[in-house]
Amino acid sequence: MISSAVYTVMFYGLSAAVILLAVLAVNLRQLLRAALALMGMLSLSAGLYVLLHAEFLAGVQVLVYIGGIVVLIVFAIMLTRSSELLEDHPRPLAQVLGALLSMFFLFVAALALRDTRFPVQVQTGPPVDDVRQIGLLLLDRGATGYLVPFELLSLLLLVAIIGGTVIARKVAPPKQPFTTGGDARGETITESARTQRDIVPGEGAP
Amino acid sequence: MTHPMLAIPAALPAGSPWGAQTLAERASASQNLWVTAGYFLLAIVGVTVLLTLLGMVLIYVERKVAAHFQCRIGPKRVGPFGIFQTIADTLKLLFKEDFVPPQADQVLHILAPFLALLVPVVLLALIPYSPMTQIADLNIGILFVTAIGGFGVMGILIAGWSSNNKWSMIGAMRAGAQIISYEISATLALLVIVLFSGTMSLSGIVHSQSEGWWVWRGHAAGFTAFIIYLIASTAELNRTPFDIPEGESELTAGFHTEYSGLRFAFFFLAEFINMFTVSALTATLFLGGWMPFHVGDWAVLNGAMDAIPPGVWFLGKTSAVIFLIMWIRWTFPRLRVDQLMHLEWKVLLPIGIANLLIAAVLVLTNFYPFPH
Repeated sequence: MISSAVYTVMFYGLSAAVILLAVLAVNLRQLLRAALALMGMLSLSAGLYVLLHAEFLAGVQVLVYIGGIVVLIVFAIMLTRSSELLEDHPRPLAQVLGALLSMFFLFVAALALRDTRFPVQVQTGPPVDDVRQIGLLLLDRGATGYLVPFELLSLLLLVAIIGGTVIARKVAPPKQPFTTGGDARGETITESARTQRDIVPGEGAP
Repeated sequence: MTHPMLAIPAALPAGSPWGAQTLAERASASQNLWVTAGYFLLAIVGVTVLLTLLGMVLIYVERKVAAHFQCRIGPKRVGPFGIFQTIADTLKLLFKEDFVPPQADQVLHILAPFLALLVPVVLLALIPYSPMTQIADLNIGILFVTAIGGFGVMGILIAGWSSNNKWSMIGAMRAGAQIISYEISATLALLVIVLFSGTMSLSGIVHSQSEGWWVWRGHAAGFTAFIIYLIASTAELNRTPFDIPEGESELTAGFHTEYSGLRFAFFFLAEFINMFTVSALTATLFLGGWMPFHVGDWAVLNGAMDAIPPGVWFLGKTSAVIFLIMWIRWTFPRLRVDQLMHLEWKVLLPIGIANLLIAAVLVLTNFYPFPH
């Protein structure tokens, strides 16, 4: 009795704080403060997961979103020194389109919420939150397992890592064609230099 | 073979709040709201007292250890052997002006020290100090320990940015890059222990070491994980030899250059409490936590070791690790930034991944020196 009252109070308190922080994250003009509001919002929604006895989900939420994504956002803001939103007044057309799009999204979300029956409401007892069970389910090849989505996600992450590495890779400066003396001269001429200056190896420098 | 202390909760009548092993369990077992609130209060007061005491003791110990490493005596004038030196320093910090630079982002500048102190405070609540002394035992313990570190990085980044000072900024960027790099190696080392013990709960990991501590029971894999975790967590602490984020000779004081008075004390306290939590976690994960030292079937030795209370075992192991970290600090020179990244990405990370694979093979083949 008492504990359910406490849970109710905690749920509404957390929800109100999450909504407030989400509004702040969208509306604050100083980007770093907005990032901080986003961090608060994400950690408090992890608190909501804890209320639902989904501790693993809460831990992963904090690990991935706060330790990873918010820190990445803050790094990006700090590296580009873009502390404030520069575009103050978007064009009227963009404003109208944005409003229409978000209203459409709200409508769809409301419809989806109305027509979905959440299994937690039907089942009795909290959902299973054993890390071992979650791990076994992720690697289960059967009909109830999640092996294919899990492996697809790891493939996606691998692609992201390789893509990031390729973009961030230091491109070696083109070789200087005329710095080495003697016989090695012709061998160091790069493809671009050859096409630019029509130098054929072995004929020597003009 | 279980530790005799473990038998005590089982002997209690069912439904007794002392049958539970953590404060959180006791609080949720009681039917009275006021008793539950009392446990919450006890937890808060306990953590606060522990925080203050640890800060005082660790700063004094660090100064004494540093002094003796450098053939000095260290603080000795305030109280016997200078033990009240930290109290005097704290009072001085309390009375200093709490200055916020005019060009700084006021709100973030004030908020950052709290974020930095949040992590060690939460971690203090998770550590099993003895079989009966732990505030909360999460079943996702290690995951939570890794996850909560993100708040510490945010505290440092926000502190550096909001100060609006190039030294703070560079220091914060260095600290952030360093912490998120070394977090990977630390997590890989922690995963080895999760593999060995088959649980993520911190007290479950301690219980899994009743046959022998993971640092040697896990063969070379356990020892390698121990070394990797020690290096990576020293780097996450921003202590020498990984202290380029606040390298005095380059950046005055790094991310907390613009902080003074009590807010500077918060960063300082967070650093020292972090050192304690890292040492306590090392002791818990690799050195058996509060488990006494046992050798095979030597009943006499094992009995003598059991006579030492678990809390003393825990404190002794933690102190040993703290001394090791201080020893490292006062022995090695500071690493350059490229050496730092080289060490993490090209040395520790490959070793960590290979070590995790070896550990998985060890677990799959049940290849333990001690029988289960």
